[in-house]
Amino acid sequence: MSGQNGQHVAQHLDLGGGQIHLMRAGAGEELLFLHPAAGAGFWLPFHALLAERFDLISPDHPGFGESDRLEWIDGMEDLVYFYLDLLEELGLESVHVVGASLGGWLAAELAVHQPSKVRSLVMVDPIGLDLPEHPVEDMFGMNPDELRAALFVDQELALQFISPEPTLDMLMRAFKEKTSFARLAWNPFCCNPKLHRRLHRVTAPTLILWGSDDRLVPLAHGEHYRELIADARLEIIDDCGHAPLLEQPGPTVEAIGRFHAELAAKGAC
Amino acid sequence: MQFFMFHLMPYPYLPEDFDERESAWVTLPNTTYDPTVGTGLYNRYLDELEYAEQLGFDGICVNEHHQNAYGTMPSPNLMAAALVRRTERLKLAIVGNGLPLRDHPLRVAEEVAMLDVISGGRIISGFVRGIGDEYFSMSIDPSTSRERYSEAHDLIIKAWTTEGPFRWIGKHYRLNYVNVWPRPLQQPHPPIWIPAFGSTETMTWAAERHYTYLSVFAPSKLLKRWFDGYRAGANAAGYEAPRDKIGILLPIYVAETEKEAHAEGRQYVTWLYHKGLKHKFEHLFPPGYMTDHSWGRFLQSGLGAYSDVSYEDLVKQGYAVVGSPATVRERLAELAEELGFGLVNALLHIGDMPHDHTIRNMELFAREVMPHFRTQSAAA
Repeated sequence: MSGQNGQHVAQHLDLGGGQIHLMRAGAGEELLFLHPAAGAGFWLPFHALLAERFDLISPDHPGFGESDRLEWIDGMEDLVYFYLDLLEELGLESVHVVGASLGGWLAAELAVHQPSKVRSLVMVDPIGLDLPEHPVEDMFGMNPDELRAALFVDQELALQFISPEPTLDMLMRAFKEKTSFARLAWNPFCCNPKLHRRLHRVTAPTLILWGSDDRLVPLAHGEHYRELIADARLEIIDDCGHAPLLEQPGPTVEAIGRFHAELAAKGAC
Repeated sequence: MQFFMFHLMPYPYLPEDFDERESAWVTLPNTTYDPTVGTGLYNRYLDELEYAEQLGFDGICVNEHHQNAYGTMPSPNLMAAALVRRTERLKLAIVGNGLPLRDHPLRVAEEVAMLDVISGGRIISGFVRGIGDEYFSMSIDPSTSRERYSEAHDLIIKAWTTEGPFRWIGKHYRLNYVNVWPRPLQQPHPPIWIPAFGSTETMTWAAERHYTYLSVFAPSKLLKRWFDGYRAGANAAGYEAPRDKIGILLPIYVAETEKEAHAEGRQYVTWLYHKGLKHKFEHLFPPGYMTDHSWGRFLQSGLGAYSDVSYEDLVKQGYAVVGSPATVRERLAELAEELGFGLVNALLHIGDMPHDHTIRNMELFAREVMPHFRTQSAAA
């Protein structure tokens, strides 16, 4: 099943025992985008900008956005195996990967499990590392005001994404997504304690982007990722909180574009 | 009608700026709790429960809550252990145990069986999931709460009723040797009570197993729907739910006169609903604690926070019963008629009520209210 919606094609795949929603647009090398814990299923300016440069493949994780929840997925490892199946289903030997927050963690895990599948890796404010000295704030317990303050520098803009007057549909969708997120990240909280031991397996050239004012996930997480991944660098997105995709889509896509231009120049991929 | 004295054992001494705090749970600093004061409180509260035996109650109830000021019994089995040796006749209902909050269900099977044996078969075993806040306080994934509860329940019942050792291979618990010592005294096992907050799944589940169904704090029009759901579940299972399997949890305050009762009761009832039950919404409803379906029903019910309901409405809507002995008799009879319960869990210590008022409340209730319903049920 597929349908044209403005710039992108929406597909529904039968995979893993349920229907998976996937948006795709653009041309060129394939890039898999792995979304954060909230906001799946929407075609954002960030997507449109990225699709100007790549064949962008943006699925909703199972249990997020418009994808069905798959009961067998109750941890990050299950989600990694789901995505390995998805890549096979789409006939993709290897892809560029961009992941944000939860999606950044997932991207790192994919690159650990199957390094050959990941041609290049971009992580935007990823969670996933176990750093007791630099705890991630507990977003599960935050009310909408606290979430806006934690996620955004620009509080006016934040109102567009976290509504002060949510509709019933919005509340239902948020509950579904938070439930799916809880299965991945409630305990151990937002991390895989074994991940740091495994990151040496990542072979892809890696760019880590961090919002200058991320109040949810401390920059130390980005610095640790940079140290643990062989070929990694860290760049800061200015005037930005935890969600560069929403708050600074232009500079974020430009940074990704520069990174890829350099890789192309080096003939690295 | 059966009468149990219910106690929450709250910690009533809240910080002066409590009204600006988000909650009496999860994040209220435990420095609020003064252990020296706690020694006096625990012993006073236990005395109150023990006194219920002299007054002719059928039983007493202890319960389980974690890391809060509303109820200071994180281990209901410990409180039950303190009480079984100081009572002789009373039934002792443990409402706990919060099964998903325990790492090991066999600890529950063992402890409840111990209490049943020590007490000579006076234990009633509740099984609860714990409230949303407790999934934050204990860092247990709320999205697995229902399946952990269900599996732990099945394991405990099997451990109590099946010859051991046997092997248990479940999703959350995998055990090679289940062989619980001691076995419970009551056969096949102690009676089971299930407190619930109106989920359709729980009504049916409890009715199918002939378990006693207990309401928690809610307006009577909602309780009617819940109890009807339980009765429908029983009908579907091929029997008529007896009244004594339907229990109401009800804060009750009796004083000599109507005026006195409200003058004093207002503060206690308000403490309970506006302070003790002050939750952060996000803590009370963590992700996955309810099914998506139940969450949708809850949102559509328009049910607000307890703290939004005024004292007058709390009394009017049946969240609490306050008045002279005559008023309380009438109101209780009215509610019993409307809702069809045969078991009253009377919360006779409420909020920041001092000891003397608790004792007087218990005495007036036992002498002026309970006998009226005893005669009635004897006649029926």
